[in-house]
Order: sequence, then structure tokens, then C-alpha cells
Amino acid sequence: MEGVFDYAPAIALFPLVAFVVVLAFGTYLPKKGALPGIIATGGSLLLSLVMAAAVASGEAYHETLYEWAAGDATSATGVEGVSFTFGLLIDPLAALMLVIVSLVAFLVHVFSLGYMNAEGETGLPRYYAGLGLFTFSMLAFVVADNLLMAFIFFELVGLCSFLLIGFWFRTKSAPSAAKKAFLVTRFGDYFFLIGVVAIAATFGTVAFAGDDSFVTAAETAIDGGDQLFGFDAQTWVTITGLLVLGGVIGKSAQFPLHTWLPDAMEGPTTVSALIHAATMVAAGVYLVARMFGYYALSPTTLAIIAFVGGFTALFAATMGVVKDDIKQVLAYSTISQYGYMMLGLGVGGYVAGVFHLMNHAFFKALLFLGAGAVIVIMHHEQDMWKMGGLKDKAPVTYYTFLAGALALAGIIPFSGFWSKDEILYDALIVGLEEPVIMAAYAMGLLAVFFTGFYTFRMVFLTFHGEPRSEVAEDPHPVGWSIKAPLLVLGVLAVVAGIANLAPVAKLAGVDITFLEHWLDGEYGAIEGLTYTAYGELLAYETSYIGSEQVTVLVAAGLSLLLAFSGAGLAWLLYNKPEPVAHTERLGSAGKVIEDNYYQDEYQVWLAEGLTLPLARAADRFDQTVIDGIVDGTSTASLFGSDRIRRLQTGIVTNYAALIVTGVIVLLLVLGFLGGWF
Amino acid sequence: MLLETLLAVALLGAAVVFVAPNRIAGKLAFAISLVPAAISLWLFAAFDGSGNALLEGDLAFESQMEWIQFGDYAITWFVGVDGISLPLVVLTTILTSLAILSSWTPIDERESQFYGLILFIEANLIGVFVALDFFVWFIFWEAVLIPMYLLIGIWGGPRRKYAAIKFFVYTNVASLVMFGAFVALVFGLGDAVSSFALPEITDAMINGDGVQTALFGVDPTTLTALVFVAMFLGFAVKVPIVPFHTWLPDAHVEAPTPASVLLAGVLLKMGTYALLRFNFTMFPTDVIEPFVVPIAAIAVISVIYGAMLALAQTDLKRIVAYSSVSSMGYVILGLIAFTQFGVGGATFQMVSHGLISGLMFMAVGVIYNATHTRMVTDMSGMADRMPVAVGILIAGAFGYMGLPLMSGFYGEFAIFFGSFGSEFLAYAPVFTAAAMFGIVIVAGYLLFAMQRAVFGPYNLETEYEVTRAPLHDIAPMFVLLGLIIALGVAPELIFEMITDAVDPIIANGGDL
Amino acid sequence: MTVAIEYYVLLSMGLFCIGLFGVLTRRNALMFLMSVELLLNAANINLIAFAFYHGNLTGQVFALFAMALAAAEVAVGLGIILVLYRNFRDVDVTVPTTMRW
Repeated sequence: MEGVFDYAPAIALFPLVAFVVVLAFGTYLPKKGALPGIIATGGSLLLSLVMAAAVASGEAYHETLYEWAAGDATSATGVEGVSFTFGLLIDPLAALMLVIVSLVAFLVHVFSLGYMNAEGETGLPRYYAGLGLFTFSMLAFVVADNLLMAFIFFELVGLCSFLLIGFWFRTKSAPSAAKKAFLVTRFGDYFFLIGVVAIAATFGTVAFAGDDSFVTAAETAIDGGDQLFGFDAQTWVTITGLLVLGGVIGKSAQFPLHTWLPDAMEGPTTVSALIHAATMVAAGVYLVARMFGYYALSPTTLAIIAFVGGFTALFAATMGVVKDDIKQVLAYSTISQYGYMMLGLGVGGYVAGVFHLMNHAFFKALLFLGAGAVIVIMHHEQDMWKMGGLKDKAPVTYYTFLAGALALAGIIPFSGFWSKDEILYDALIVGLEEPVIMAAYAMGLLAVFFTGFYTFRMVFLTFHGEPRSEVAEDPHPVGWSIKAPLLVLGVLAVVAGIANLAPVAKLAGVDITFLEHWLDGEYGAIEGLTYTAYGELLAYETSYIGSEQVTVLVAAGLSLLLAFSGAGLAWLLYNKPEPVAHTERLGSAGKVIEDNYYQDEYQVWLAEGLTLPLARAADRFDQTVIDGIVDGTSTASLFGSDRIRRLQTGIVTNYAALIVTGVIVLLLVLGFLGGWF
Repeated sequence: MLLETLLAVALLGAAVVFVAPNRIAGKLAFAISLVPAAISLWLFAAFDGSGNALLEGDLAFESQMEWIQFGDYAITWFVGVDGISLPLVVLTTILTSLAILSSWTPIDERESQFYGLILFIEANLIGVFVALDFFVWFIFWEAVLIPMYLLIGIWGGPRRKYAAIKFFVYTNVASLVMFGAFVALVFGLGDAVSSFALPEITDAMINGDGVQTALFGVDPTTLTALVFVAMFLGFAVKVPIVPFHTWLPDAHVEAPTPASVLLAGVLLKMGTYALLRFNFTMFPTDVIEPFVVPIAAIAVISVIYGAMLALAQTDLKRIVAYSSVSSMGYVILGLIAFTQFGVGGATFQMVSHGLISGLMFMAVGVIYNATHTRMVTDMSGMADRMPVAVGILIAGAFGYMGLPLMSGFYGEFAIFFGSFGSEFLAYAPVFTAAAMFGIVIVAGYLLFAMQRAVFGPYNLETEYEVTRAPLHDIAPMFVLLGLIIALGVAPELIFEMITDAVDPIIANGGDL
Repeated sequence: MTVAIEYYVLLSMGLFCIGLFGVLTRRNALMFLMSVELLLNAANINLIAFAFYHGNLTGQVFALFAMALAAAEVAVGLGIILVLYRNFRDVDVTVPTTMRW
């Protein structure tokens, strides 16, 4: 299988070619450019599967392909010469992510045939070009073998997100949402870029893997007790790690930079499924997993990651319970679920976090595409209160959506349960030793209840009960291009959990934690990038309640109990023929939640209430003071000249008088100086 | 003699176009301008120099001959290029050709004079970048002002007289300060130099004893420091650095599009190029050292303050003009960092910003040709009517924001990387992080402007139908976009050449 | 017997003062021109007197030159006055001030 990796660059390049082709000739192509996209992502998917098979056969790939720039800068650790390169790193993690991304991208392209083409949208070449560019950037990000390359494609996916959210640019809201998405993530990327620059300047390398990786260099520096930029190495690693985390928080929509994601739902639903649920938002979490060795060196950073994750999981889940727009519910659920992944990674649960990343990609893409199908069925109505009773009219959509919902709510045995439970279990065993993690765990656990509630509220309102509007009684039919992706993802949402049945393994003592083995390098792996290697770096202590088995049961039991009670409450309140809103019962708290805890307000205030007036003040200062001085100089000299020129009366007698006076004065002065008098 | 040919073609071309009939002037000027462009590309391909022109480097296409004996000092015709100046020469010739192409639509009076002046300015700009004798250099440096003054003053907007005079007087006064300082330096060097050739003066400053003679009762050490400051201020106006920037937005707003392209694209680079050539190459590091922190502070202020000003504007041209102030702040930060990546990145950024700001001004100009307004408040949804031009404007805007794989990103990244680890600059990480915040603000104002002007429902009150722009308006923008992406994907195309010329400067820092 | 040099100087001074007075007070261009002639002639007297006093001819030559120049000047001056009159219908020197700024 050795040679197959030579084809690895093609995974990313296929969609790039599709992008160029669609951009140039999209208008003239049948299906307005959908076909090149489908072919390209299909090719990427096939190649990704081949890569995964190659990794399964015990190979891994780490190769520098292209030197972008090089120079002989000296770093703080004394490494001379730095080179910024593009390279490929295909290890188990990357191979897994490649399959996820290319699969979802492929399915979304197919789904778009039904969602965009069939609906007669204009500007489709632009849409497919955007999707192609996005898929290229995302795949290139996944295989990046160094931090700078990761940053480059991290930013490019942000561009694609901007372009696709703003697809319906003729409206007022879409461009605004696109701008907000780019700006908020850019704010995170600002810290990320400082982080990249700082790491490059400190260690003289930005490579993720190998002996000359910055992770290894950081480890050496910490062991050697070096001073870096005036800090001890441990602190400096924490600082740089947190800076990079800024980008992660922006892109993965974690508190407090989560505000852009709900707005991003202004884009087409397919885009929401691909970019704002399954893949791009995952980029942040993936980056943490990618450089997990670096974070493992800094317990402080990990604890912050865990706490932010746990908080976001709960925070976003509570906002999800009061939304009326089906896509908004899913958006907040996405934020919440990425919080879980951060929590998992933050407590050292590398496998658990990646496992949830995978499961979430499947079931959330499924839910968004399902929502897309519902929106098509409902003639572009997104308010859940106008739906109802779609269960019988759109059975394929209903059952696949239900599978996704069960996975999201974490109901056994659907995929979401296994990964979420593993995260909570990992958090619990660390939390028993560390109070901060315990708090994060508690928030994550509480969020399970809300997740169950909002998920089933959404399901009941959309599909159950009586139709509550005319369009709900007369649904628009959907074609195979919509159903097929739903079915594929539906199956995956049900069965993907098999990949890592950790609780079963622990209780029954059978060796069925495939994903753990996969990420631990039992097949192919790059040295240092395995679960075990990370485990050795981690400084967390763990303990159990009673024994390991008891702890597993307690953790799983608690989360299941909460999930069921949340779902049950939703069943009680909303599974009626004519459900009514219960938001008023929440009183003033409900108002706060509906307004998203005023997060948007304060961020908009920061931009428009603070920065803009500041800019205007600066402009006034510039126009009046600085330019005033310049113009003042000119005015003063003009004024002075104007006064002096009045001597020039034009009357020749005056000149003569002046000359005479001048001569006399001169004579007198010379006389006084010369001592004539 | 290639450089002389380059200059001669542009100068003669200017004369020919000046007397040509208006009807054919545009096409003739474009055809003529292709010759310098081709020659400069050939120079680029055949470049065989190495090292820095002022520091005993191996010059390419050099020629030197006696010209005037001026008392004890010889003035020589001395031209040549190294890795720093060659990319700027190529930038000048390419941008001139494209600027001529982009003036076909907006310029409809006195065409022959207009295009003649553009070619004349091109000749002088090339002269500034290739001249290695102070006197020759200064002639070109000053001669650039005249055609630009006329371009703004004759073909400009409503306040053209004010803008043109402000531009001319402001930069001319700055030149005077710089000229006086430099002459003082030469006299201060006394017998150590016998000509105005820049390499000779640099050698006396760096390897010789430096200034030994007191002038006007000022002792040599103070004199050197004063000369450094005066020259810095002189060039700072041209760059421009806050607080000497106020001529720039006025000049840009009033100037016709092609003049804006050249003004932002090349004229501003004269300032940074001269700073690099004179202030940061000629002076030993112990002279520069006391000024490092103030200069870095000014650079950071330029970045943030310029960006804040851009945020408050509603005129698209003013936005781009102020953002130039911001971008030039990065260049200063890179220069003062005094590392290979810092200075090299700054030079790269000069070229990159030339391309990107040229692109932005062209795109704004194309929209202006169609709408006759540049106010973001007046238009909405331009993307609906002019998809290609707006697409390029957006691409240019993202280039300005430093989107990766476009040249702006590499320039900024190299500067940030170079300055973060700089040992010359105290608190380098703090300064770098502060300057980097510019990338957030730049995204803010450009996206804000885009959202209002080109997106949203189409709404513009005109008495005619707004249609797509003609090909000769769009083509130059595609060329620029191609160059921007090419340099972003493969910065080594010029960065290798640049670092080669930058290394000797850094080496002078010795153990720094 | 010769007149002492002091008397020539006094004469010249008187003439000069008369001329100066005329230049400063007269508004008629013709009077103005005549006053200038007086000034010039005051200088001529000085030149000739001192030439005689020193016993060489340089001063006298200068005086001849000055007279030739004065003639030319009067020609130009009268020309100007004629133009002045044609344009302003007046020969008052305080009237034509339009060219001052």
C-alpha cells in the first residue's frame, strides 16, 4: 500500500479543480456546476477511503511537498533557520477526518441537486464554486502537517464560509450574517496568528510531527527549564497554547465567540450542514486534537479548554430550548455539541473527543439535511410552529431525522450516546480529583437534559401533531437526491457508535474499542501522535467511584436518566395534536434566554457602540487637529504673506519713500555701529 | 546599458505621446509602456546580482560614468539594481501599463498630455529605484512630483487644486529637510568621501569612521543622530507615517483612478524604499538604536490609527487611502525589527501592497465609472449589476485583509514573524501583537463597506442603466489578481532575491 | 581762482534734496520724471566736481554716460507715461495700482 500516498495530494486538489472549472465555465455546464463538484468530492471520498485502508494496513505518511518560504531567523530556543512548508500528514486522525469531510461534502453536493437546483436558484455556479473551494481548503487543512499550513487553510475555510453564508446577497440579512461570521472568527484568528508567529519564533519550527516538531521542542524546553521570552518554558507554552486556542474558540463557536454561528444559518441549509455543522466548525476541535501533544504539556490550558467546553455545552443548550426556527435550534445544538468535544479533549479524553467529532459530523449533517428536506417540504418555511404532522407525509425524512435526533439526544444505543457518555465518563474520573473539571463535568451533564428536551421538542413540533399551516397539509415532494444522502447518514447515525463501545468493553471485558486502537496507532501511526503518547504527557490524576465498572455505570446511568427526562418532558409538553408554547412560564429568565443572554447585543455594541464612535472620534481628531496643523501652517503663511504684501501699494511714491527711509535707517545703523557719532 | 534603455524608452515615449493626437494617445501609450514592462521582466529573468547594492554587493546591469565635478565631490551617473530594487522596478513598469489600460474609460480630455505624464512619471520612478548616486537619485525623486502634481491638478476631482498643492508642498518640504540632512552628512564625512555615490557614502559610514567633522558647532555624534532623524522625517512624509499622512487621503480622493493606482502602488514605496536604502542601510546600528522604540511605536500607531480612520470613512477611495497608511505601518515595523524576515517581509510587503492597492483603486474606479459615486452610503447591491468587477473588488479586499495564499498574507506574516523575535527591538512581542490587531480592524472596515456597497438589494439612483464594465477595465485587474495569488502561493519568486539583498544589512548589525 | 569743493557738494546736495522732495510729493508723472532728472544731475555735478578736484577725467566720462542713460531713461519714461495716459486718461502715478498683487 506504500505507493498510494503519492496520490494523497489529489484528495484536496480534486475539489480545487472543480472550483476552477465551475468558476470559469459553471454557467455553461449542465446542472450549473454540480456535476464537477460531485465527481471531485466523489473522487476525494474514494481516495480518502483508500488512505484510510492504507493506514489500516499499518502505514502512515508524513511528507513535505513544497517549500513556501525559508530564511535564517534565529529562534528563542536557538534553532537557526526556519522554513515554512506545505506538507501532508496522514495518520489515523487525519485519515478519519478525511473520510468524514469528503463523505459529508459528497453527500451535500448530491443533496444540493435537490435543494438548490430543483428549487431554481440563480447564481448556482457561484454556489458550487464556493463549495468546491471550501472542500479543497478543508481537506487541505485536515492533512496539514504544520501549524502555519493549518492556519492558512483555517482562514481560507473562513473565506468560503463568508462567501456561502452571503450566497443570497440580495437580501439585507445574509451579507450582514456573513460579515459577522468572518469578523468574529477573524477576531479569534488574530490570537491564532499571534500563536503561530510566537511558536515559530520560539521553536524555529511549526511542524506537528517528527523530531523537529514544536511539540518535541516545547517538551525539551520544559524539561531543560529554559527561559523563553522572559517566561519559564511551561508558562510560555501555556500562553502560546491559549493564543492558538483563540482561533479554535472562534472557529468552533465556543463561548464567547459563538455568536456568529446562529446568524450563519442565513446561508443555504446545505451550507449549514456542510460548513456550519459537520466540517468547518469541527476545524477548531480538530486543531486541538491535531496538536494535542502541545496542549497536553500545559495542564492550565487543558483545564481552560475543558471548562470553556463544559460551559458552552450547557450555555448553548439552554438557548436551544426556546428557539422557534428549526435551523436555529440546530445551530445552538451544534455549539453545545462542540462544547462537549472541547470538554472531552480538555480532560484528556482524546479518543472520546474525536469519537464525538465523528459521530456529530454524521448526525448533525443528517439533522441539517433533514431540516433542509423539511424546508423544501414546507415551501421554505422554517418556523416549527407552522409545521406539524409531517410524520406520515414524509416518512423517509421523518425516520432519518428521528435517528439523528436520538443520536443527538444521546439515547442508547444510537451513536451520540456512546461518544457523549465517553466524554462525560472521562470528565468524571478526572473531575473526582480536580474541582474545576468537576464543575465542567457538572455543566456537561446538566446540558444532557436540555439536549434531550430541545431535540424532542423539535421533533414533536415538526413531525407530530396536526398540521398547523396550509403548506404543512400540502407538502412539496422531495426527490431521490434528497432522500439518498439522508438514508446514508441515517444509517451512520445509528451504527457509528459501534466504532468504540467503550462502556461495553469495560463492563464485559471484551476488546471492541476499535477507534481507540485506531487512534492509538495499532495500525499505522506517526510516532508521538498516538493516544498513549499523549497519555504520557498528561498530568491529570484520575480516580473512580468504587471500581472502574461502577463508575462507568454511574456515568452512563446519570446521562441516560437526564437524556430520557429531557426527552420525556418534551413528550409531555409538545407531543399533542395542538401543542402550545410554554415559553412564558420561564418568566424573565425566558426573555433572557430568548435574547441569547444579550451576547449579540454586547458584541454588536463593542463593534458599533464602541469601536465605530472611537473611529469617528479619531477621524474628527485627524481632520481637525492633525490636518488642522497642516492646513494651519499653510493658512498662517498665506495670512502672513497677505499682510506683508500690503506694503506693495502700487504707488511709486510710496516705494520711493520706503527706499529713502531705508537708506536713512541704514546710514544711521551703520553710523552707530561704526562709531561716527 | 539596459537600465538606460529602460529609462530612455519611457522618457522618449512620454515625449512622443505628448505630441500625439488625443485620439490614439491611450493606445499608443499602452503599446509603448509594454516595452519597459518587457525589458523589466527580462531584467528579472536575467538578474544575476547578489548582495546589497550599497554594501559591496554584486550589482546587476550596473553602469557608472563621470558626469559633473562639483568642487571636491564628483557626481556620477551611477545606476544598477539589486534584489531590493529590481522587484520594485518590475512593479513600476507593470503597474504603469495596467494603469494606462485602466485610464481608457475615465480619461476623456487632454489624453495625449495625460498619457505623456504617466509615461514621464514611470521614467522617474524607475530612476528612483535604479539610481545609486545621490544627486541622480534626488533629481528623479523630485521629478516624480511634477507629473503627479499635474495629474491630480488637471484631471482630478472637485477639490483638485487643494489636493495637488497640498501634495506638492508637503512632500517637497519633506524633501528639502531630507536633502539638507543628507548634504550635511556628506560634508560631515569630510575627506572620507569624494563623490555622491551611495555605496561610497555607506562604506564611509559603516566601515569607515563615520562622521568626524563638526558642522555649525554640532559635534559629530549628535550630527549623525540629527541627520538620521531629519532623513527619517523627510521620508516619513512620503511613506506616509502618522502624523504626516494627511496629504494622502486628499490626494487619493481627488486623483483620477490611474494616478491613484500609481500613487498608492509605487509612490508610497519610494518612501519606504528610501528609508530602507538610507536610514536603515547607511547608518550603523548604534546610531539607530535610541530611535528603535519610538519608531516601532509610530509604526504601531500608524497601523491602528490608520485602520481606525478607515473605519470611519464612507468614501471607498478614502477607505483604501487610509488603509494604505495602515499597511505602510507594517512595513515600518518590519524595517525596524532588523531581522531577515522583518526587513525582507517589509520589502515584500511594498511589492505586495503595490499590487493590492493598485487592484483596489482600479476596482473602485471601475465602479465609479459606472455609478459616478464612491460613497458606500449611496449605493447598494452593486454585485447585482457588475458581478465581475465586484468579484474582483471582493478578492482585492480579502487580499488587503491578508487572506492566506494571497501576497498580502505572506508580507504580513513575514513581518510579524520577523518582528516578534527581534532582538533589536525591545518588547518586540508586545509591539508585534499590537500591530497585528490591524488585521481585525482591516477586516472590519472592508467587510462593512462591502456589505453596504456591493451586497444587499440593488439600489442606486441613476438616469441610465448600470452595466458591466468593458474588458479593458477588467483585464488589468485580472492580471493584478493573478500576480497577487502567484506571489501568495510562491513568495520565493521574489523573496529569495530580497533576502539576498537584505542579509548584508542585517549582518551589519553584528552581534545584535 | 577756483571755487572750493564744498560749494559744489552743497549745490549737489541741494539739487538732490529738491529732486527727492519732488519724487516724494509730486503725483504728476511728468513732474516725477523731472524730479528724477534732478536727482541724476545732482549726481553728475558731484562726479564732475570730484573729477576736477582729483585732476582726472574718469568722473567726467561717467557723467557723460549718466547723461546718455538719463536721455534713454527719459525716452522710456515718457513712453510709459504716454501708455499710462492712454489707459487711465490721467498721468497721476497713484492711479495705476492694478498691477500690485
